[in-house]
Amino acid sequence: MIVHLVAKEVLSTLRDTRAVLANLLIPLIVLPVVMLGLPLVFGGLFAREAVTVTEVAVSGLEFLPTELRDQLEAEALALIETDDPLEQVDDDLFPLALTVPPDFAAQLANNQAELTLHYKLGNLRSGLAASKVQRAINSFRDTRTRATLDAAGVDAAILTAVRINEQDVSSEAEQRSGMMAWLIPFLMVIWTLSGGQMTAIDATAGEKERGSLETVLVTPVRRRDLVTAKFLATTLFGVSSALMAIVGYFVSSRFLMSGLVSNLMGGSSDAQAMMGMMGGQLSLSPSAFLLLTLSSLVVAMMVAALLICVAMLARSYKEAQSYIAPLGLVMILPVVGLQVADFLTLGLGFYAVPLLNAMLLMTDIIRADANLAAMFVTWGSSLFYCAILLAIANHNFNREDVLFRT
Amino acid sequence: MTLLCTLWQQFASSLTILAVTPPSDLPSSPLPLSTSPAAQPLITAHNLSKQFAEVQAVNKLSLTVNAGEVVGLLGPNGAGKTTTLRLLAGLLTPDDGELSIAGVDVRKHPRKARANLGYVSGDTGLYDRLTGRETLRYFARLYGLSKREADARIDALDDQLQLGAVLDRMAGEGSSGMKQKLSIARGMLHDPPVLLLDEVTSSLDVIARRAVLDGVKRYRGSGRAILYSAHTMSEIEELCDRVVMLVHGQVIASGSLVELKTESQQTSIEDAFFYFVAQHNQEHEQVSA
Repeated sequence: MIVHLVAKEVLSTLRDTRAVLANLLIPLIVLPVVMLGLPLVFGGLFAREAVTVTEVAVSGLEFLPTELRDQLEAEALALIETDDPLEQVDDDLFPLALTVPPDFAAQLANNQAELTLHYKLGNLRSGLAASKVQRAINSFRDTRTRATLDAAGVDAAILTAVRINEQDVSSEAEQRSGMMAWLIPFLMVIWTLSGGQMTAIDATAGEKERGSLETVLVTPVRRRDLVTAKFLATTLFGVSSALMAIVGYFVSSRFLMSGLVSNLMGGSSDAQAMMGMMGGQLSLSPSAFLLLTLSSLVVAMMVAALLICVAMLARSYKEAQSYIAPLGLVMILPVVGLQVADFLTLGLGFYAVPLLNAMLLMTDIIRADANLAAMFVTWGSSLFYCAILLAIANHNFNREDVLFRT
Repeated sequence: MTLLCTLWQQFASSLTILAVTPPSDLPSSPLPLSTSPAAQPLITAHNLSKQFAEVQAVNKLSLTVNAGEVVGLLGPNGAGKTTTLRLLAGLLTPDDGELSIAGVDVRKHPRKARANLGYVSGDTGLYDRLTGRETLRYFARLYGLSKREADARIDALDDQLQLGAVLDRMAGEGSSGMKQKLSIARGMLHDPPVLLLDEVTSSLDVIARRAVLDGVKRYRGSGRAILYSAHTMSEIEELCDRVVMLVHGQVIASGSLVELKTESQQTSIEDAFFYFVAQHNQEHEQVSA
């Protein structure tokens, strides 16, 4: 009996073009777009800015030493004399301005020289131009320092007498997962919510609004079976969305990131760095993939039970949407926890916190750092919450004031 | 701990997809009608009461519908007609009273009672993204019919109600009349001995209404019991053998059309209805005074 009930919910959802687009296609393309798009956009931008000549407004250009001027021009900067550099930057005529004091040569002789950079900190183009200028000034300063040391007969090696040798001791999986590894569990949890949402609302508040719930309730079907069917159909679409996100992620990380982006960027180091940060080097073992899928399933079950519980209380589709919308915001809270997870000593108790537990476990799985106890606590607690929510949903399905609210 | 166990059992029992309930698990198919159906009461309500917050929706209501009979439920808006039908259909639980469908106690065996009735309301409640045929097949499975039985019944109902194109078109695309015919077909799908019809013609045009009324007449002719709630007096006069008049959840008059007209000394059932309502209001005012 439940099979027929589930089949109807699935068929009904699959015939809704919006639902298919939102639940299956968008999750499939969002991660590739994010993972490909950022390296392509930013990497491309950085690479282009590196070779593009950037005009810099300069006040007191005549006071700039020729060596420094050459260094600046070597960084693809064109120096344009101007009277009011601040106004030029403020009006966005130049991304950056440089003020050279009239006594710059004297200051330099006293090793007290100061140049002023005017740029907008929050403006990416401005920031990139500033980094070019800073590189040129640093290079000029280093050259002068070395020359001064040489003249004084001091070995320039004194400047680098102590070096820092940084060793990344994180595992290969941790290195490959990148700094944005948290994004993957977050998106998966979000997709279980949005993927199951349409089915859950349509199968509960939607049925009430259409009057079709009444026609099913007069059949000999057990109300418990009805709840189970709606729960299973919602879980199916929730987990499908999450799996689509995983598939999209693998397609982008395995094929697109390593091939397409590298080729498009011509092996640019900025793009490579960006890809690394986005987790583009990630490769999961089959067992990790299975664990990730199982974790998604458990989360999808809990979220589906929650959706059925909440949507059932609404009288209409719109009312249900207004009840469920805040859940998306609630789901952002565990992400905040995920951000500071590295600063915390994560006891097993954290793996019992709904949603945060799944996000933590998924991050552990991606970094090949998951342990058995964390898995059992996460899955067990999520199933327990799911059971409570299903019991509430069952209870509500027997309440006349919930079923026949008008 | 006991609570946890109970919750876990409830959860585990909910996940029964691997042990799919076979159709045989459903209550037995609609009860066979006796060879002399006229005397067989198929709908019985005795002292039925239901209150919503401060509103007494149904107040000690009693009625009987025998096999082969159409009984009209007549009353103004808010009289308790829909609540009465929902109580009989097992959608609502009465606060008090007894009710049975085809001899089955609705409170004790709700699923078995529901297997013996068809319920159709003016609100068609169809699935927009299923075709008419898919809708009927789906409900046929919920009533425990096999695919072959379902298809045979759908063909029979197509002949009887002239479903035509709506069977293979998305239900949401049909006209109001076609949707209502489909909704009625859904109610008759499992050939139940009892049919509860709640203002099924309210949104129909003349032609669609005629088709529905003809369908109901044919169904009555096969020895079924039909409780027919409507606003339109002409439909009541045309279809019903007896009428139960409701005001504020109470039966204010009941009997055959002739009996009601004679008792009220009126020539039409509409006039008789106004007569009984006025009489009821007068008695009510006297009691209040």
